[in-house]
Amino acid sequence: MKFLRNFLDKQKPHFEKGGRFEKLHSTFDAFETFLFVSNRVTTKGAHIRDAIDMKRTMIVVVIALMPALVFGIWNVGYQHYLSQGMAYDFWPMFGYGLLKVLPVIIVSYVVGLAIEFAFAQYRHHEVNEGFLVSGMLIPLVMPPNVPLWMVAIATAFAVIIGKEVFGGTGMNILNPALTARAFLFFAYPSEMSGDKVWIAEKADAYSGATPLGHLLVGEVDKLPSDMSMFLGTIPGSVGETSTLAILLGAVLLIATGIGSWRIMVSVVGGGLAMGLLFNLWGANAYMNIPAYQHLIMGGFAFGTVFMATDPVSASQTKRGKYIYGFLIGMIAVLIRVFNPAYPEGMMLSILLLNVFAPLIDHYVVQSNISKRLKRAKVLAKA
Amino acid sequence: MQELFNIFIRSIFIDNMVFAYFLGMCSFLAVSKTVNTSVGLGIAVVFVLGITVPVDYLLNEYVLKAGALAWLDESLADMDLSFLSFIMFIAIIASMVQLVEMVVEKFSPALYSSLGIFLPLIAVNCAILGGSLFMQEREYQTVAQATVFGIGSGIGWFLAIVGIAAIREKMRYSNIPAPLRGLGITFILTGLMGIAFMSFLGIKL
Repeated sequence: MKFLRNFLDKQKPHFEKGGRFEKLHSTFDAFETFLFVSNRVTTKGAHIRDAIDMKRTMIVVVIALMPALVFGIWNVGYQHYLSQGMAYDFWPMFGYGLLKVLPVIIVSYVVGLAIEFAFAQYRHHEVNEGFLVSGMLIPLVMPPNVPLWMVAIATAFAVIIGKEVFGGTGMNILNPALTARAFLFFAYPSEMSGDKVWIAEKADAYSGATPLGHLLVGEVDKLPSDMSMFLGTIPGSVGETSTLAILLGAVLLIATGIGSWRIMVSVVGGGLAMGLLFNLWGANAYMNIPAYQHLIMGGFAFGTVFMATDPVSASQTKRGKYIYGFLIGMIAVLIRVFNPAYPEGMMLSILLLNVFAPLIDHYVVQSNISKRLKRAKVLAKA
Repeated sequence: MQELFNIFIRSIFIDNMVFAYFLGMCSFLAVSKTVNTSVGLGIAVVFVLGITVPVDYLLNEYVLKAGALAWLDESLADMDLSFLSFIMFIAIIASMVQLVEMVVEKFSPALYSSLGIFLPLIAVNCAILGGSLFMQEREYQTVAQATVFGIGSGIGWFLAIVGIAAIREKMRYSNIPAPLRGLGITFILTGLMGIAFMSFLGIKL
């Protein structure tokens, strides 16, 4: 550690103003603050003393993603060997999954961070840490068999068009990880949907349909048991299958106050409400499945915990968060049941509400203003 | 009733004027700077579409369509005036926009001045003519269907412009690269919103 500090201190003057590598200042700054806590302190004016900054925030989210990631890696291997009809121990399955998932993670981080750094140098701002989370979310929402070049293109699209053109971290309108997935979903539908892509190197005879895929064609009886959908031993995107692992992450996010429990609760509420509504309607077999099953299938849990709660693209006001979350849940289930083109509604409903989040905020703020004005008038009269 | 409801939902979300057909872009891009102005323009568009589509429907049904003049005289039964539909539709739209303009000027001078030239320009807003032409092409059966379609399309356009206006109000605090400021980023934004709206594409009603 000492060695590293000395090394950084020695290099620092080169990157300061007037130094040889002045242009690369933000790159140096990013690495330095990543490795060491900054020793600069505020000296005057009002300020809040807190250890939490954006780097710590983002790292907590990455840690919260770990259970889902580890389970996802295992599940990729498990599904592969299951489709081949072979039974293996824990480690071969985990190893196979690692070989599949690790390259995707590396590609997403390398491409995304390279673009982030390039933009930070060129536009002379600090390198923001937002991508630490997006870079981990992107591999987790991809199907296990996704070609690496697609991951690279999608990441580049999401970072440049989804984020940097709006001014970088904190300014994006849509969630970058979902932008990447939506881009691939519409640009290369054959690689991102259907029954073939959810199991890595699947044997041909084995059906690789996800639970949502079964439901879409009306095969309600082929649905896996609730327990296996909850634990996540089903085909699906890398990180989305295990509701249990995602719940572990949710506990951490709520306990540290980083993920908004208001959004999570209201998304679940919206999903359940829509599911129950469909139960009452009951026009086909899909509408008759128990409402709680919507929560453990597909990307609902993952989207609720990690995507909908994105502090940048979600609603900012408290009341707005309830409205935002509730609509996400409702529209997700609605798209699942009604739209035969897309088995998974979660991604699209979050994107849609990302678009309308500023509008929700606008009206919440306006209603607060008019309420207070009214109160002020009453007081003035009295 | 079911049929009317389907047309209504279809025209708002699935066949959204802005995100599915990219119609009415000029005022969509130019007037969406603040939420309040865009609400005003949006309501004006809902109103104009809600009136012109059913009026154009009646015109099409009883004057323009092949054989539509049969109610006048037997000898006119093989008359086909549909080559006149563009000019007739535009005439109806222009007169309706005049009406809206007078109403807005009378009741909300502030909105009138903030909408500026874009209020009379509703007359050449492609979404309005598009509404009438879609009505003709999709062959709606009754005047009620045409009305519901017109109002629904207007509400879809209204949602789109109000949504983008709220985003643009928020974006004022962003450090957008200089070459993209203004219209450039708005175009990118429209594209991204279009991706989000694609969630409804493919729903069969």
